[in-house]
Amino acid sequence: MIAADKLCYRSKLRYVNAGEKFWFSVLTMLFLILSRSLSMAVLVLLVNGLLTVKNGGIGLGSYLRLLSVPLVFLILSTLAVVVNVSKVPLDAYAVPVGAFYITGSRESLLFGMQLIGTAMASVSCLYFLSLHTTMTDILGVLEGLHCPRLLTELMLLIYRFIFVLMDTASAILISQKARLGHRNFKTSIRSFGWMGAGLLMKAFQRSNALYDAMESRCYAGSIRVLREQRSVKPGEVGAIVCFELLLLGMTIGRKL
Amino acid sequence: MSKKEKILLRATIAFAAMFALAPVANAMHIMEGYLPAAFCVAWGVVCLPFLVTGFISLKKKLNENRKSITLIAMSGAFIFVISSLKIPSVTGSCSHMTGTGLGAILFGPAAVSVLGIIVLLFQAVLLAHGGLTTLGANTFSMAVAGPLLSFGIYKLCSKCKVNRKTAVFLAAFLGDLFTYCVTSIQLAVAYPSEAGGVAASAVKFLGVFAPTQLPLAVIEGILTVVIVIGLETYAKPELKAIGFLKGAK
Repeated sequence: MIAADKLCYRSKLRYVNAGEKFWFSVLTMLFLILSRSLSMAVLVLLVNGLLTVKNGGIGLGSYLRLLSVPLVFLILSTLAVVVNVSKVPLDAYAVPVGAFYITGSRESLLFGMQLIGTAMASVSCLYFLSLHTTMTDILGVLEGLHCPRLLTELMLLIYRFIFVLMDTASAILISQKARLGHRNFKTSIRSFGWMGAGLLMKAFQRSNALYDAMESRCYAGSIRVLREQRSVKPGEVGAIVCFELLLLGMTIGRKL
Repeated sequence: MSKKEKILLRATIAFAAMFALAPVANAMHIMEGYLPAAFCVAWGVVCLPFLVTGFISLKKKLNENRKSITLIAMSGAFIFVISSLKIPSVTGSCSHMTGTGLGAILFGPAAVSVLGIIVLLFQAVLLAHGGLTTLGANTFSMAVAGPLLSFGIYKLCSKCKVNRKTAVFLAAFLGDLFTYCVTSIQLAVAYPSEAGGVAASAVKFLGVFAPTQLPLAVIEGILTVVIVIGLETYAKPELKAIGFLKGAK
């Protein structure tokens, strides 16, 4: 149902220490948005693509499909950055419309390219984290960062419940479709709404039963999961540190 | 469907058909890596007081009744699921609800702020809607600003004795619109236009996203009304348990 969640259990990089993957993704992202450098974006896209497809064993097709998820947002908002309406024409292009020009400067075109590049590279970092790390491992990292207990507990529960509710929702939708409930726009609006109501009702009923079940197994405010300890490998850490230092160098080099 | 609903529905269809070009309309999550670092941090800081308030109120609720933890978690999962499902549309495009209006009406803005950041985090990691660096900005627009306005409108309408369905519709519809405006302004402040500055840039962002967001807001409003009607019909005890429907029998 959720592609990233399915894939991460199959990834060959799943058993690499979660902290390593987390810091690699987050630091790389940070340098990307600090530098906005196209060359760095290309480098990161290549490295992440190689790591994900070759080392991680995720299919190239599904990786590219996943990468295209935020494309619409990217195209629309970059359009808004690059295109101007003004009385004075700017240097890159200018299309006169009445008294105004639809225009843009070379600088902003270049900036738009940098924005697209670094944003896509950042998305590849996000996918590097989510395609190779299970949610429970990410929660483990968050706990290590002293995220409040209540929050991680809620996240753990919500994560589990998402799949329960997804199952229920898709079952309801399928049976609605079998009864022609999504025949046209009008019926599908109605069916979707009733599905939502039914889903919330089911969720509440389940939550009561679940609490009773948890309490009868001695639940006292936290579910303790036995975390599989994946040792930190010095070679991997060394490679990550070198890569991040390179990115840091590129960032500083650009600012000078 | 009642007569009013029918009229509402026809209006939406006409309205949505006007924008039949829109191919894919995700809810307005600012994508990963799109905002400059300073803005990522700043929006995160702006969200903090709301998150802390929400956190404290959740904690209080749990101290009163420990049993409500599964209820709160289920509510969070519900918001995630409802916002990750494809909603019906006239054009066959793929769009999603934000679920913020519904969440704010049912669970209150304080709880929604904390549930919202968790849901947004999951959306970023599992679905690549939004991102880690833009989590702060997205939380502000979708889990703080939108729900607060929705909740305010809903309360105001109930005070003025406006009929509940209208109140729910207005709350969800305007909450969605407000989220879209806030996101556009967030983008505009980060990327002011070369000609005309922040204001011109805001107009551009609003214009670019209007074709996808306006019909979506109407559909979201209608869906929220239908969901609330369904809940009122079948789930009165559950609604009372979360404090919605106080005086109702």
